[in-house]
Amino acid sequence: MKRLLEVRDVSRRFGGVAAVDHVSLDVFDGEAVGLIGSNGAGKTTLFRMIAGELALSGGRIQFDAAALPHRPDQRARLGIARTFQLVQLFGGLTVIDHLLVALQAHEGRQGPLRDTLWKGSSTPDEEQRCLETLRLCGLSELADAPATALGLGERRAVELARALVVRPQLLLADEPSSGLDTQEAARLARVIARARAETGLAVLLVEHDLRMVETIAERVIAMEAGRVIAQGSFAEVLANEQVIASWLGRTA
Amino acid sequence: MGEFFGFVLASVPYGCAFSLVAVGLVLTYRATGVFNFAFAAEAYAATVIYAELIDHGVQRGWAAIVVVCVIAPFFGALLDFGLFSRVPPGNKTAKTIIALALMVLLPQIVETAVPNNPPIPPAPFFSDSFKPVWRFGLEIVTGAQICEVLGTFLVLVGLVFLLRTRRFGLPIRAAVESPKLLELSGVDARWVLRFSWMISMSLAAVAGVLYQVGGATVEPQNYDLLLVASIAAAALAGLRNLPIAVLGGILLGLAEGLVQGYATNIPIVQTALVPSLPFLFLLVLLVFHPTLRHLEDTTDPMAVVEPPPPVPALAMRPPAVDRTIRRARWPFLVVVVFGVILFVPSDWTMALTMGAALSIVFLSITLLTGLAGQLSLAQWMFAGIGAATTAQLAQNLRWPILVAALAGALVAGLAGLVAALPALRLRGLPVALLTLCLALLGDALLFPTSWVLNGQTGINVPRPSSIFGIDFASVDSEGFFVLTVVVMLAVAGIVHLLLRGTTGRALTAVHASPIGAASSGVQVRRLTILVFMLSASIAGLGGAFFAMNAQFVSATSFVYYFGPIYLVIVVAIGSTTVEGAITAGMAFALINQALTNLPQSVGGSQLGSASLTVILLSLGAFAYARHPEGIVEYAKRRATAALFREVRGIEPHEHRLVSAEDGA
Repeated sequence: MKRLLEVRDVSRRFGGVAAVDHVSLDVFDGEAVGLIGSNGAGKTTLFRMIAGELALSGGRIQFDAAALPHRPDQRARLGIARTFQLVQLFGGLTVIDHLLVALQAHEGRQGPLRDTLWKGSSTPDEEQRCLETLRLCGLSELADAPATALGLGERRAVELARALVVRPQLLLADEPSSGLDTQEAARLARVIARARAETGLAVLLVEHDLRMVETIAERVIAMEAGRVIAQGSFAEVLANEQVIASWLGRTA
Repeated sequence: MGEFFGFVLASVPYGCAFSLVAVGLVLTYRATGVFNFAFAAEAYAATVIYAELIDHGVQRGWAAIVVVCVIAPFFGALLDFGLFSRVPPGNKTAKTIIALALMVLLPQIVETAVPNNPPIPPAPFFSDSFKPVWRFGLEIVTGAQICEVLGTFLVLVGLVFLLRTRRFGLPIRAAVESPKLLELSGVDARWVLRFSWMISMSLAAVAGVLYQVGGATVEPQNYDLLLVASIAAAALAGLRNLPIAVLGGILLGLAEGLVQGYATNIPIVQTALVPSLPFLFLLVLLVFHPTLRHLEDTTDPMAVVEPPPPVPALAMRPPAVDRTIRRARWPFLVVVVFGVILFVPSDWTMALTMGAALSIVFLSITLLTGLAGQLSLAQWMFAGIGAATTAQLAQNLRWPILVAALAGALVAGLAGLVAALPALRLRGLPVALLTLCLALLGDALLFPTSWVLNGQTGINVPRPSSIFGIDFASVDSEGFFVLTVVVMLAVAGIVHLLLRGTTGRALTAVHASPIGAASSGVQVRRLTILVFMLSASIAGLGGAFFAMNAQFVSATSFVYYFGPIYLVIVVAIGSTTVEGAITAGMAFALINQALTNLPQSVGGSQLGSASLTVILLSLGAFAYARHPEGIVEYAKRRATAALFREVRGIEPHEHRLVSAEDGA
């Protein structure tokens, strides 16, 4: 299998504190990897470095065997999509507009020149693709609804749809079940699973909800105090002594 | 050494006034979330009251300042009760717009009420402010200087004492973090915020009086320096640290005094560097101070409890309004243009042409503020750059005037790049401060030079002589009116396409969540630079036509002060649509003209100043908090809803639902 994301010896320091300390991990093409750990373990910091929102203090990150560009928008156009722990929607835009923004940015069909010379709004192809993604995420009925007026479960689904519409190679999902009830979380997990099945998408999932991690991830990496302490299958990682000590405060 | 001591003695009192205002700015911002752009205007208003009291028989300075210090807190409470308490805590844009409206309005109201500048009154406790009280060798210390330093010291000590008390200080410090959390603790946050406003206004009043008794004449322009120096001191403190704000104010006063003192014989320093020192300092701070970059990041843990601030968006308008406008706009336009050509007197034609030129400038605000959500106070400066380039190219290089106007727009666009680059690192309030700095720099450094607008001497601007036999050159040329309207419509068309197109969507996304937009692949930096440059170009083109209409421009045509005025007017009337910008431009020109033409018996030419027009239109900004789409859009929506009810017996949104069901 092709190595899609390669994180090597990556560190990030805030003053004297090492939030991420010499972490290395890989995500292979089409693979779903769960990143677990207690609060402050460095999962989100690592995520932000992969997305290009935080600079690295050391190490390197490669995507598809090439060095990553610096800015988040460049990485997004390269095929790294992302959802956020605190949902980041665009007030004033409808659900379908969210998808169009991402799609047109990804396709390079966005800007004043296109608007002025070609009356740029959206092409039937673009709309069709957005509607397909909305259907995948169970949002067909809400295409024209203002996104910020929706409930949290639907807003998380909109964010996921925005990430999926560009058919990314890698999805970085940051605690997608945060604030959702069991049913909503399960629905979101099903959407991610269906997207993987349809597009061969790779997923790096940061999550506290172990049920969701078990549903989605084929491999799990556990972090503690900025370091990787275990990796393997879900059962192997949960049985790891360091993980038990870290999560439960005692050895097995 | 003696010379140095003399310069220090002369400049410390100014530094004290800067410190007081800086402390007031920090306190108000931290406690209420409002960056009070109107602080210097309020200081000016308090000073005028002080001076008028002395002028009208109040013999003692201390008695007058007591009266001012009683009025000021009441005014503060009134501002909070009438305006700021009605804005949702999360809506920072509305708070800034209201503060800008106050900054614009107060001096206009005071100048309208007190047309002649009051005489410089004595300092409190001293009958002759300038009489030497102490001598240190060759240097003297006057009563005014003692009053300024001692007054500042006493006020700051009192403030520190107050903020350290459990009863008053603790709730204020808690409200800084989260008024809602404070309320959950059983404290009425409304009164805490109101009390903060009362303290803040008292500080403004004392600072204004102390600044003025130092020798500055009681004119609003003199308070510009007070405002910018204080903003710079407050910015140095990251808008959070009061002792650094005090220190920053005093250091800026000292820097200004020392540079002025030691460089008496260097004209360029006196005329350019000294007045610009605080602007340059503030500019550097805005770009490099790490705290200012994250000023807009909310720290209130209860912020998510509030509904998000209503973002101006075209989606707020019912489709029915769009259809009506689409059908009616061309016939309406043809009627207006022919009506002007056939029936309108020449002075009104000129006013309408000015309205069309202003509308072009205002369309730049639609793009930058209405769509990108950036508050730029420098659009009028960009208009000035466009006008200056056009005038210079046409006069000195004999370029055809319309080609020169296009070049003017291009140069203004490049100037927009200067604003865009620092704005890449900033959002919200810091962008407003940055553009205010640029506008003030334009005023102090750029426009007075001979190769730009030639100061107050100015420069003549030709019009196109004739095209296809149509006269443009005469003062009351209807041809030039039609030409300006055509250009205005072309620009409006482009802005409309951007609003409705991919750019509009992407800018709305960037405005709502820059990180969300970037992670979706939107090129935030490229888009920000493009929109700043495009907006500056449009302003520059508007400035060129404004200049052609007036046929003469000087540095006074593009004073920075009109930047905030026009921003407030456009936002009040409607910054989210092209109709809003055009209505604002035309309203400004026509109301001004109507007031000028009033008969002498009801005020006549006295009322016909821009002041009253500004007052009338700016008042609309106070409705912004409730109707961020602007007065025009709000009125249109209401009218459409009423029409629906009358004709079909349903609300517009019900009509959309029915249509959707039919379609399904």
